[in-house]
Amino acid sequence: MSVSEGTIVATPSQGAAPDPGGWPLALKFARRELRGGIKGFRLFLLCLALGVAIIAAVGSVTASALGGLERDAKALLGGDLEFRLLYRPIDPAQQDFLDAAGTVSEVRDMRAMARASDGNRTLVELKSVDTNYPLYGEARLDPPTDLRGALAQQNGRWGAVAERALVDRLGLAIGDPVTIGTLEYELRGVIEREPDRGASVFILGPRLMVADASLEETGLVQEGSLIEYHYRLALPPDVDPIGIVEAAKAEFSDALWRVRGLDEAAPSIRRFIDRTATYLTLVGLSTLLVGGVGVGNAVRAWLDGKIATVATLKCLGASQTLIYRIYLLLVAIMALVGIAIGIAIGAVVPFAIAAPLGERYALTLEPAIYAGPLLLASGCGFLVAIAFSLWPLIRARAVPPGTLFRDLVQRMEVKPTAFDMLLLGAIVAALVLLAAITAGDRMLTLWFAGGTIVAFYLFHLAARGLKHLTRRMNESSGQRGGESRRGPIMRLALANIGRPGAPTTSALLSLGLGLTVLVMVTLVQANLERELVRSIPAEAPAFYFIDIQGTQIDEFQTLVSEFPGVKAIEQEPMLRGRITVVDGVPADQIEPGEGAAWALRGDRGVTWTATPPADGELLSGEWWPEDYAGPNLVSIESGVGEGLGLEPGDTITVNVLGRPIEATIANLRIVDWTRLDINFVFVFSPGALAGAPSMHIATAQMESTQGGADGGVDGGVDGGDALSAQEIETREIALQRAVTDAFPNVSAIRVKDAIAAVASIIEGLGSAISLAAMVTLASSLLVLAAAIAAQTHRRRYDAVVLKVLGATRRDIAKSFTIEYGLLGIAAAILALILGHAAAWGLVTYLLETPWGFDPAIALAIVVGGTLAAMVLGFLGTWRVLGTKAAPYLRNE
Amino acid sequence: MIELTDIELKLVGAAGPVNILRGISLAIGSGETVSLIGPSGSGKTSLLMIAAGLERPTKGRVSIAGTDLGPLSEDQLAAFRRARIGIVFQSFHLIPTMTALENVAVPLEFAGRRDAFERARIELDAVGLGHRIGHYPAQMSGGEQQRVALARAFAISPSLLLADEPTGNLDIETGQQVIDLLFQRQKEHGSTLLLITHERALASRCSRQLAMRDGRIASDAEIAQGVTPTASVTGSRDARVGL
Repeated sequence: MSVSEGTIVATPSQGAAPDPGGWPLALKFARRELRGGIKGFRLFLLCLALGVAIIAAVGSVTASALGGLERDAKALLGGDLEFRLLYRPIDPAQQDFLDAAGTVSEVRDMRAMARASDGNRTLVELKSVDTNYPLYGEARLDPPTDLRGALAQQNGRWGAVAERALVDRLGLAIGDPVTIGTLEYELRGVIEREPDRGASVFILGPRLMVADASLEETGLVQEGSLIEYHYRLALPPDVDPIGIVEAAKAEFSDALWRVRGLDEAAPSIRRFIDRTATYLTLVGLSTLLVGGVGVGNAVRAWLDGKIATVATLKCLGASQTLIYRIYLLLVAIMALVGIAIGIAIGAVVPFAIAAPLGERYALTLEPAIYAGPLLLASGCGFLVAIAFSLWPLIRARAVPPGTLFRDLVQRMEVKPTAFDMLLLGAIVAALVLLAAITAGDRMLTLWFAGGTIVAFYLFHLAARGLKHLTRRMNESSGQRGGESRRGPIMRLALANIGRPGAPTTSALLSLGLGLTVLVMVTLVQANLERELVRSIPAEAPAFYFIDIQGTQIDEFQTLVSEFPGVKAIEQEPMLRGRITVVDGVPADQIEPGEGAAWALRGDRGVTWTATPPADGELLSGEWWPEDYAGPNLVSIESGVGEGLGLEPGDTITVNVLGRPIEATIANLRIVDWTRLDINFVFVFSPGALAGAPSMHIATAQMESTQGGADGGVDGGVDGGDALSAQEIETREIALQRAVTDAFPNVSAIRVKDAIAAVASIIEGLGSAISLAAMVTLASSLLVLAAAIAAQTHRRRYDAVVLKVLGATRRDIAKSFTIEYGLLGIAAAILALILGHAAAWGLVTYLLETPWGFDPAIALAIVVGGTLAAMVLGFLGTWRVLGTKAAPYLRNE
Repeated sequence: MIELTDIELKLVGAAGPVNILRGISLAIGSGETVSLIGPSGSGKTSLLMIAAGLERPTKGRVSIAGTDLGPLSEDQLAAFRRARIGIVFQSFHLIPTMTALENVAVPLEFAGRRDAFERARIELDAVGLGHRIGHYPAQMSGGEQQRVALARAFAISPSLLLADEPTGNLDIETGQQVIDLLFQRQKEHGSTLLLITHERALASRCSRQLAMRDGRIASDAEIAQGVTPTASVTGSRDARVGL
């Protein structure tokens, strides 16, 4: 205490707590504020709901798809367990074991050529099933009929059922003959549902199903034929599958079968679903973040309208903390409303798209309300809403109560406290964590988060820079005095960008972020598609021919090499083998490095030769001499070798047709798989596989120019006229027919068809992601439109004053259009830079594909973005052009 | 009650620094009614804001009801206001989303008073609006809104009542009613009153009149009740100070 001139000066009051009411009081006041209605929150709700809806929809659809896989796991797998072998069936002891364990169904899978009576033929995925099939699920045919009956022998003819794609491709009708190998079947139905189709992402040919008992008659079952044998087991309810697996391992420790349980039903589609969900979730997060800009704008605009209320409350004794809490709670309540709308939309999406999506990917979706994805989406939405509202709340907290008494003479100093920064940091960290959980790929999410933060920062910097630049341009124009090079229209446009309070930052941020996502997605798609085209070498073979028997190879070579239009053929013996021991360590105990895990997962291609491949580049080691006759040697593809930690001199054991072949590594060989030449992971020295019954694989390269009269291998005249696509197609079909007529057991895989299948997948995936990116862009345009609309009052005032001073409506419209055109250009250019950087990173490091710049896309984005901004700017100001001056001037 | 010592206020605006108050020293006793008159830009509002703790002087000392406002934080000032100071604005500044009752109860709720709504009801009765407690400001006339504002200001039984042109937005008749009510309630509560006004007649209802010009107190005169004062400008810092 101090005393001055008789007046007692007390120390600052110590007794009164700043906020006796705490959060309950703040909530009371927040609810009272809501009585004013939610009109000012429409943009807030829309932006938040859109972003949350996408994330919720992606999560719900993913859960539905995975739920469908879980529910149909038994049907997809074909049993409770599946034992799988390549090349040959299980032996009698194994058969007895399985028969004792439960009900067994044998299914065989292979590729074959299906021929119609008019000679048309196509590659099919041939499947033979026994009378126990399917153990679970139901096969549905059109016309509706029993599968067993449809496939059974009737009047001396076996039946077949086929997918609609095959029926359409060969122009078949029910009752028509279809020939496989040397056996003619009768088409008796179209497959509408195949319970264990497995929803494969990549399918080379349509399905044709026949009875297992008929397969031998086709002539396709030869030793060495590439046939997969599946033994599905349906167990009694009280039997634990794990126990059966353990018993099988114990009793048949050397068995080469692979065993799958229910958790491995349809693994490739599971991976595809997960990967697609990751990308779509990240795009959904982008939409939410762009929406966050809209949320921030809406909160700021709403709070700007509440300045008088905030100042009044402060005059009446509200602390800063109470003010902060009141409006934070209000934002939180509105966020919950927006989130509720978003998750309601997201939750119903699986129900809406279950049918079309299921048909496209042969999936059975299990539409339901999945709490997990909805909660995650809600969490992301809530955190974004709070994060983007923090700054407006901090500004509201800083409103001086004296505002009520005078217009602000000096600029309001708004400084976030250490707690504010901590809170923002915590929210961002929580958002990154939630994003990682939602998207599923932690590394990718971290990159996404880092990239987003950088993008936000750069756009803010760019906005500041643009404002500064436009102000300087106008200042320097004014300083020249006298005449200015820029007319008033341009100066007004520049001033509107650079003036204090201009929505330059939110316009750049919202439009720029949306364009960045679109650029990134489009470039990744373009690069993938380009890589697909580029990866097809100029000298790519037109055909792969598989299952050529050893006794047929000479005749085959003669036929193909002399066929008109064939430029070159290549052939190698082929078997498939499984790695069992790696340098003395059993394969199931190996932890493979990146790039080699796939080699341990199944059977790999194996061949043998005395002469090294013509283009065989070695990473290490050496080739054996042509007359080598010593102990087994093997050349391994370098990626697999390095991934398994192998060097020349190490040993490896590969089990081929039940025989373990141990060999010493002679070299690691570099293979360019993109050349589409015949290549193998393992090339053994001659003698290693002596006497092994093998099939041959061959490729045929065809001319794309018109050859001379002698055609054939050495035919073709350099510099000849290019063949039309139709002519090439005709020649290829002719070759395919000739080969498969002469050798019914040989399957011909057209390289074009395989590439088309891959392209279709990329296109499908790309379309989904592009669609999501378009939603992000739509969100950004919405935010931009709202930012423009928020300026309407001021624009009206400007328009009135300008008209009074003699400007025409055209002049005013031009000024506003230029303003938004400049913003559009700035946003587009920065989006191009950031989008390219992000796409480059994704393409180079994640997809490991060569990067290529696409100027057409760049131009399209710049032009499109600028136009969009200009159109929005023009539309937004169109309304104000007709404003009457009198009411405004009268108020003045 | 109010003790201002050598108060200066300088604000920095877009056009540069502006001297709003140029060394004001003033003491006002408890229960006094003081009017503040002067042309626009003379500093009346700034002086009132400083007394309310809504503005910090660039220099000088402010003591209200024995409390030095200088060392108080923003929140401590807010707490001080809701306990000691009632404010009546020219534009009423009622919260549009709250009823009359809720508006009056606001400062009491901030203070954590359990009887906030009871007291608010009593104050509204006292200003003749007991029958409008559930009405929103948009449903009331200007005069009614100002009466609600009066009730709000007196709800805390303020030591100090600050009124900034309380009849500025009202017609003559309504304004008269509001002023009568204001002085009546002031007397009942014994609050010190500092009133900004352009109206001479209103100024004369106060026991003391301060005239301001160019950020200084130009004159400080005791007013015999019923006598219309004449303006006197001294233009010096050493204006006569009365207790």
